[in-house]
Amino acid sequence: MRLTLRAQVVLVALVLAVIPLVGYVHVKQIERLLREGQEQALLATARAIATALHDRPQLLELRAGEPASGEMALILRSLARAESRIWIVDRDQRLLALVGDLKKRSAAEDPPDLLTRFVHPVAALVLDRPTEDFDDSLPESEIGGPVAASALQGVPARRWRQSPDSRAVILSASHPVWSGDDVVAAVVAEETTNATRSAYNRAMEQVIGLTLIAFVAGALALLLFASRISTRLVRLRDEAEAAIDSQGRVRKVLAGSKARDEIGDLSRSFSTVLARLGEYNRYLEAMAGRLSHELRTPIAVVRSSLDNLRLQLLPAEAGVYLARANDGLKRLDTILTRMSEATRLESLVREHPRERFDARDVVRGAPLAHPGKKFEIDVPGEPVWLRGAPELYAQMLDKLVANAVDFATGDEPIRIRLEPRGADAVLTVSNRGPRLPQAMAGKLFDSMVSVRARESGAEPHLGLGLYIVRLIAEFHGGTAQALDREDGSGVVLKVVTPLESGTRP
Amino acid sequence: MARTVAIVEDDAAIRANYADILKKHGYQVSAYGDRKSATAGFRTRLPDLALLDIGLGEEPDGGFTLCRELRAMSAALPIIFLTARDSDFDLVSGLRMGADDYLTKDASMPQLLARISALFRRADLLREPPAAEEVLERGPLRLDMKRFHASWRDAPVDLTLTEFWLVHSLARYPGHVKDRESLMRDAHIVVDDSTITSHVKRIRRKFQAVDGTFNAIDSVYGLGYRWNN
Repeated sequence: MRLTLRAQVVLVALVLAVIPLVGYVHVKQIERLLREGQEQALLATARAIATALHDRPQLLELRAGEPASGEMALILRSLARAESRIWIVDRDQRLLALVGDLKKRSAAEDPPDLLTRFVHPVAALVLDRPTEDFDDSLPESEIGGPVAASALQGVPARRWRQSPDSRAVILSASHPVWSGDDVVAAVVAEETTNATRSAYNRAMEQVIGLTLIAFVAGALALLLFASRISTRLVRLRDEAEAAIDSQGRVRKVLAGSKARDEIGDLSRSFSTVLARLGEYNRYLEAMAGRLSHELRTPIAVVRSSLDNLRLQLLPAEAGVYLARANDGLKRLDTILTRMSEATRLESLVREHPRERFDARDVVRGAPLAHPGKKFEIDVPGEPVWLRGAPELYAQMLDKLVANAVDFATGDEPIRIRLEPRGADAVLTVSNRGPRLPQAMAGKLFDSMVSVRARESGAEPHLGLGLYIVRLIAEFHGGTAQALDREDGSGVVLKVVTPLESGTRP
Repeated sequence: MARTVAIVEDDAAIRANYADILKKHGYQVSAYGDRKSATAGFRTRLPDLALLDIGLGEEPDGGFTLCRELRAMSAALPIIFLTARDSDFDLVSGLRMGADDYLTKDASMPQLLARISALFRRADLLREPPAAEEVLERGPLRLDMKRFHASWRDAPVDLTLTEFWLVHSLARYPGHVKDRESLMRDAHIVVDDSTITSHVKRIRRKFQAVDGTFNAIDSVYGLGYRWNN
């Protein structure tokens, strides 16, 4: 499976998901501490009231069911915490006093900040929102419940319980009121967990908000970074691919990025490699030209020396060697002529003027150069206008025909066909004969590539003929191809060149 | 008196070999190894024909300079470039400098000798009384065989001698295809096919400079050229 760089970075960004997790654990910790603190505070309240009552035992002589009054109420009120309820039971589990309210009186809350408002809907999904709308009655069962009972036994106790309608959690803490060694009553302080719950929620919202922002910002930054890198890499790849064509020739050299990082380095080294490759290719392609140029002078020395020698009086057997030397020279000459034809063409096509011509005229003249060979020529009825040089086109056709003549077997005529196809003119030269060797596919039109079997004494083949075809095809803005006939009975050489624009509707 | 052929060639072996052969064929030869000595020699005595190499020692284009100097001294002196360079650019430059021919060094000695004698023959024609047909007229084309002067629609066309002979050869029998070999024969030159192509291209261009619609020289692809009226 192909995993793009971008996808990989997104995967890596998942590590950032640890941030919210850490925040969550941290807030949980805070909640635990808050609860602990609340328990301690409530217990302390109960203890303080119990201590106060311990000094004033007469206050416990109240009748059950009556509201606390006077000093008792004062003590309770002064020691009680906001939003807490305090009640006192005596040993007979009679409610001696009940002060305070579990519900929050002032509903005024701090206006939520921007972040909270933003996170609120998200947080609502996971957070339990405390409500002030719950049943705050003090059920009978609670008065005789375990918390009060424990205190009456002399042991302070605390307990979490649900409100009767289960909409709030109530924390109660009790403390015994001692009179000498006896417990005379129990003070029970109660509070909802709404306050801690709210604090917890606020903290949680903040954590969620902040980590969400951190996560999104981090992931976004990473993604942008990855996109940038991947874009640059893709561009580099495209450039590198476009730089070399299917035949391995360097089409253009990369500009080389100026970026001062590894990708920039890569681009620059690509550029250098391509430049060197291009130089080497040019060196190879110019080799034929240079060779022919460099060889010409020494050959002229040999030739003129032989010419001089021929004018001397020589022993009879010298004539044999003279003839052999001449033969060798003639072969060298052929090689040189072919080489220089290719190089001359290379420089020729660079600045040859282009004109409009009818390719049919050129095709019709093709057989004239090969008298004694049979041809089958097929040209369309209307002109095939091309833009280029007719004499070069003729030279190209001549090379194609010469190639077909050389490889043709039997006396089936060589088929030359010219036809417009879409915006192109397609020229095919086809002959019966052996198939193309697979290994050479795509290289036939390169300089000095030949598939001919080497025959000693035969004319030297440099593989420049089809190279010339390619040069001229490219001069006309087209391409050259070699294919096997569909039925495998021979070979088709095909040159596709664009028609002169405006000549086809 | 024997005709003098000047060879300017920086390669001593080739120079000596050519000099020997030309001497054996009855020419008087003055051989020079560089441009300075050649210029000095030409100042003293103008040869009847000059064989010039383009690259002369340190001067890659010394032959071109020499050719210009020689042309300035004599408009009719036959000049042949004999060089290892075979690019079309060099060929065209050489002909533009006023050379009558351009031969690469792989040309054989008989070819060179044929060319030298052809050029001498043509030079002789210039001095002899004009042939029976003094003026050849083919539509707008007028060839003055006496002065080797060509005109098209009464405007002079500045052709070199080789080009003049080629036009003459083509225009003599309009409609007949002249292959490259008979063109060479008629123009007294022995060159390779692409030199003929180059010559014809230059001829067309010269006529087109006078008349943009000129198209009297047809290419018959695969065969040669044809004058059409």
